[in-house]
Amino acid sequence: MEITDSVLKLLLQLVSSAFQRCRLAEDLCRLSVLLDQSTGNDPPITCISISDTGIGCNLKEFQDLRCPREFNGAKFWAILTMAYCDADGLLSVKTTCFSDDEVYCYHINLDESISNKRQKRQASQAKNGANFSGTEVSLSVFGSMDVLVAPITSFFQKMLVLQIPNVTMDLIVNQVENSPGTQTHYVFVVNAEKTPCFTASNLERLKSGLEDYVLRHRNCLDIMCEHCFSDREHLKVGSGTACSEENRKKTGGTMEVVIVISDLLETTRSCSRSCDGKTEVLYFDNFSPSPIPQAALSALKKIDWKSYGLVLASVNDQDGHVFLEWENFPSYVQIQIVLHWYHNQYPTRQRTEPGINLVKKGIKNSLNDLKAKHEGFLLSSHARKICSYVPDLARSIAGLIFSSTDIDFQGDCLSVLGFQPQEAERDAVEDYIQRKIVTVIGMNERKPQKDQEAAASFLFFEGDSETSYFEDEEIECEYYSTTLE
Amino acid sequence: MEENSGLSSMKFFSDQHLSYADILRPHEARARIEVSVLNLLRILNSPDPAISDLSLINRKRSNSCINQGILTDVSYIFLSTSFTKSSLTNAKTAKAFVRVWKVMEICFQILLQEKRVTQRELFYKLLCDSPEYFSSQIEVNRSVQDVVALLRCSRYSLGIMASSRGLVAGRLFLQEPDKEAVDCSECGSSGFAISGDINLLDNTIMRSDARYIIVVEKHAIFHRLVEDRVFNHIPCVFITAKGYPDIATRFFLHRMSTTFPDLPILALVDWNPAGLAILCTFKFGSVGMGLEAYRYACNVKWIGLRGDDLNLIPQESLVPLKPKDSQIAKSLLSSKILQGNYRDELSLMVETGKRAEIEALYCHGYDYLGKYIATKIVQGKYI
Repeated sequence: MEITDSVLKLLLQLVSSAFQRCRLAEDLCRLSVLLDQSTGNDPPITCISISDTGIGCNLKEFQDLRCPREFNGAKFWAILTMAYCDADGLLSVKTTCFSDDEVYCYHINLDESISNKRQKRQASQAKNGANFSGTEVSLSVFGSMDVLVAPITSFFQKMLVLQIPNVTMDLIVNQVENSPGTQTHYVFVVNAEKTPCFTASNLERLKSGLEDYVLRHRNCLDIMCEHCFSDREHLKVGSGTACSEENRKKTGGTMEVVIVISDLLETTRSCSRSCDGKTEVLYFDNFSPSPIPQAALSALKKIDWKSYGLVLASVNDQDGHVFLEWENFPSYVQIQIVLHWYHNQYPTRQRTEPGINLVKKGIKNSLNDLKAKHEGFLLSSHARKICSYVPDLARSIAGLIFSSTDIDFQGDCLSVLGFQPQEAERDAVEDYIQRKIVTVIGMNERKPQKDQEAAASFLFFEGDSETSYFEDEEIECEYYSTTLE
Repeated sequence: MEENSGLSSMKFFSDQHLSYADILRPHEARARIEVSVLNLLRILNSPDPAISDLSLINRKRSNSCINQGILTDVSYIFLSTSFTKSSLTNAKTAKAFVRVWKVMEICFQILLQEKRVTQRELFYKLLCDSPEYFSSQIEVNRSVQDVVALLRCSRYSLGIMASSRGLVAGRLFLQEPDKEAVDCSECGSSGFAISGDINLLDNTIMRSDARYIIVVEKHAIFHRLVEDRVFNHIPCVFITAKGYPDIATRFFLHRMSTTFPDLPILALVDWNPAGLAILCTFKFGSVGMGLEAYRYACNVKWIGLRGDDLNLIPQESLVPLKPKDSQIAKSLLSSKILQGNYRDELSLMVETGKRAEIEALYCHGYDYLGKYIATKIVQGKYI
């Protein structure tokens, strides 16, 4: 018998709550998930324990949890192997805050819909003057724990993207089937050297986290994959924020978007994990990985990707995992996107989802940020075509400057560009002009359409211009041979 | 009626809107190029950077105006002050934009070396330098015209020499500076080649005892007339551009008309729209080269081949108009400058759908052409 998705969902919700408690503790915390499979049962029973050293638990969290079907089954197959594993379909919760004198214990019956009957207080345990806070939630379910390991690991790997530095997560898997039993220990810790400091903003962390996620192939590796990437510095990262104001109807919230684009190395072919050109979109809801809501999915579809030189082929939603596929996409480029929506106040009773426009705004801000930081990048195909002419134009202009015999003219040109006349080298000047023009083209793209039409000032005359585009027109009377004199 | 008089009085002031190309010395032309470079760089590196658009005088019919000769009997087409933009940020004009700069670069070098090149030579140089941008002579020519429209100076000022197709023969003596005078009646049946160097043409001394200047459309006809020394029977000078007139030949004709103002200028063209188009170019100028060439309009009159000569030629020599002819006819008919009697001739061509070449007159004998011209002159039958 398999553990089903609804159990997994419950588990992840509990882990997520534990994580929030750790995050809010603002102190070094640990979150541990222990999976224990008791032997001898058929079907097997797995005992799960989620413990954290965060702030004490507020029992309101449990009010919205629903009971998965499998709990009831376990009632009839209870064999207690470990003291903390309670097999009668209840959640066993122990929690304490710093200021508390005791550890409070509860049993929460998820099956029970009437709220005041759900939780039953049990005998408290004494703290004997010790100062600590934390929570432990235990439950047991039908089914083999093998199916839990991968999703929980993946969940933790995603959590690392948030780069909350004070929380260390681990997963301990006890297999006691064979003797001596095996214990596998997975640890997920934010790399202290590389991450932004404790005072960094959520957005900074998100950026750093997504970079790591990309470099370590979705955090499956401990260090950057050297087959695929040369250097962290070669990643192109853009970030954007959009906020919604607090009002009577809803709590305020912030949408943060980070986009990382990487150029893969030639050796990426020898890497077994290299991506297949699809873009993964991660979604976080209030510091917890979550399936992507409909509004965000619609926003992704509605972004005008063409103006950034990308053509969206399809948006695939596989159980909340979203992948974007592009048309005519080079195989050596990878794009990774993360969206994080959180309320400005926590905890909040009234959780809302972001609106489609807010998500779009966040994504656009992020794309524009990328474009601004990397001139000549993410240009629409129209602009890229123009940029292909720019090196020749720069060469001509540099040619004009350097072939002049008028020293004053040369000096003027070079000083306008910011070069010292005596020290300027032609290649450097040409390069500078080229980069400047490409930047202007990129900037021009980001202006709203109407501003783009309002042209730069003319080279010579402020004529009343007929803004008819210069077209090669069959000029009257020039009908004879093509070799006009 | 009032409206008409109002319009006609405005004719005095039409020249205020004239855009023209200056004739500059090399250092002046270089200075204009330098100014355009500096302006571009200043705006590119300013706090609000942009790529300046090129402001080119619009070489379209919509920007062409007519100066009806009031005190003279010369009318001409000129380009007015409407501009068109060539912008790098517009995909349609981006490549043309780069071409202008490339041409400016080469012209700048030519001016520094104080050389002169023909447009053909320019084409080959650009083809080697930047093959992706220049694939045909037409592109080069148009880009050159763009530079002319931008800097507002003649091609000659940019160091581009007109290659001339023109030939002259007849009762004319030409003396180039520091050279012997050349007798154009002793140049053999191919005549004397008109130089492409406008400066040289400007400084050539002309002496003539001719009574007429006859412009001939086709080389073959010119050849026949010169070989038969028709210019001795009718004291005249024959000029041909061997087809559509180049600027040097037009300049030469203009120079002749100012040096010998009493000589009527008569044109001998085929009876077809293309022939008339050639005549009109000598007479009024063209939109395509309007910035430079407005000055060289001359009062050319149409002597033949005309509608009322059709009885002189056999029916078989009237052949159908080609589609291109119809296009040309349509274009000419829509031009405001075309006078009534020319319109009538064109309309006749279009209505009958026929055209005829001057060679058709040879049915009366190879020497008939001279007689034909003489008769027409004597009868004053030119329009």
